[in-house]
Amino acid sequence: MAEHRQRPRRRGQGELEAQVLSVLREADGPATAGWVQERLGGDLAYTTVITILTRLLAKGAVTRERAGRSFAWTAASDQAGLAARKMRRLLDAESDREAVLASFLTGLGPDDERLLRELLEQSRSEGED
Amino acid sequence: MGLFVFLPLVLPLTAWPIARLAEQHLHPRTATRLLTGVAGVMAMCSTVCLGLVMVVGTAQLPGNPLPDGWSDPEVREAVPYDEVVGKAAIPALCAVVVACGRTLWRHGRVRRRAHRALAGLPGTQVAVLPDEVPYAYALPGGRRGRVVVTTALLDCLEPAERRALFAHERAHLAARHHRFLLAVQLAARANPFLRPLRTAVSYTTERWADEEAAQAVGSRRTVACAIGRAALVSRGTPVATLAGLAAPGPVPRRVAALLGPAPLMRSWPSVFTSVGLAAWGAAAGTAVSAMSSANSAVTMFFILYAATPL
Repeated sequence: MAEHRQRPRRRGQGELEAQVLSVLREADGPATAGWVQERLGGDLAYTTVITILTRLLAKGAVTRERAGRSFAWTAASDQAGLAARKMRRLLDAESDREAVLASFLTGLGPDDERLLRELLEQSRSEGED
Repeated sequence: MGLFVFLPLVLPLTAWPIARLAEQHLHPRTATRLLTGVAGVMAMCSTVCLGLVMVVGTAQLPGNPLPDGWSDPEVREAVPYDEVVGKAAIPALCAVVVACGRTLWRHGRVRRRAHRALAGLPGTQVAVLPDEVPYAYALPGGRRGRVVVTTALLDCLEPAERRALFAHERAHLAARHHRFLLAVQLAARANPFLRPLRTAVSYTTERWADEEAAQAVGSRRTVACAIGRAALVSRGTPVATLAGLAAPGPVPRRVAALLGPAPLMRSWPSVFTSVGLAAWGAAAGTAVSAMSSANSAVTMFFILYAATPL
């Protein structure tokens, strides 16, 4: 009985899943199960972490991709944010991307802003007539 | 072949007037196709001629792998000023090949990396990214290409303007504008005189997509407002580097064009207008360029054929 009390409180499944998910969200990019286990505090077995991750995968809450012999896991709700970060890194790195990415906007020159405001103002007043 | 071999190197100058005038006077679709075609043909001709001159230059070098007969005086006389020009052509052609190769490689790399960045998202055509920097662009490739847009840009637009934005990007993908842009980029690398055509085409493709978007949403004013508003929100962000120096930049010109009357879809302008004259000038320049490079290539072939001991 005394032994029982010393063991950490048994946590509910939902609680564990939420913890794993929040750890994954903190990760900067895809993370391995070992990394998740470490961040959780180490009182969970590796296989337990894998089990939880697999259950989250079945629910669509995380995604995984092959990284060498194991998987790298990402919180699904964070996929868009991850993609945004990757895309920003790409756009910042590529100075000469015009040939590929026909972008909606190009930069504004020094006088362009004033000119643009005048044009829009004009069109607004014409629209109201 | 004489001086003819040098003509294609400088004839791109005949396309400068049309590169300036096409923006305002031709339908953007016509302008894009015309300018890209002219740039492509002229770039190819100038590269062919550079190659022919290079053969003469290389044959002069001791220990070159070409047949000995190719350095005969008769072969050299085919190119005027062969001493200087022949040797100058070697690094020039190398530079062209390296620059074009790099452009192609970069094009592939940007596309690959952008697709990889979006790999985790659901495979819808529109990818909305949560980012505080407003930008949007069309990413070609995949099954039908993707439209990438950030929440910051969508947040600053009205619903009708958002439709205009998506229609604009879809028009880029549907008309495969990236091919035109890549073609003129390569042409500008092959012959620096073709650079104004690259600038012109990157503007006319945007105008083309603007006009398609205006048709799709049924209002030119909505598209103009979408562009203007988005540009004002994103000012100061390092979205691109094409801002004009003295003349108004491309964005106000696009807005002004959309607020004006719709461009007429004419097949070919009359000769008696300035734009007609410029278009015919460019067409004539292209034809002369093609003829003189073909003439030089054939002449060179026969000279080398005669000089090669069989």
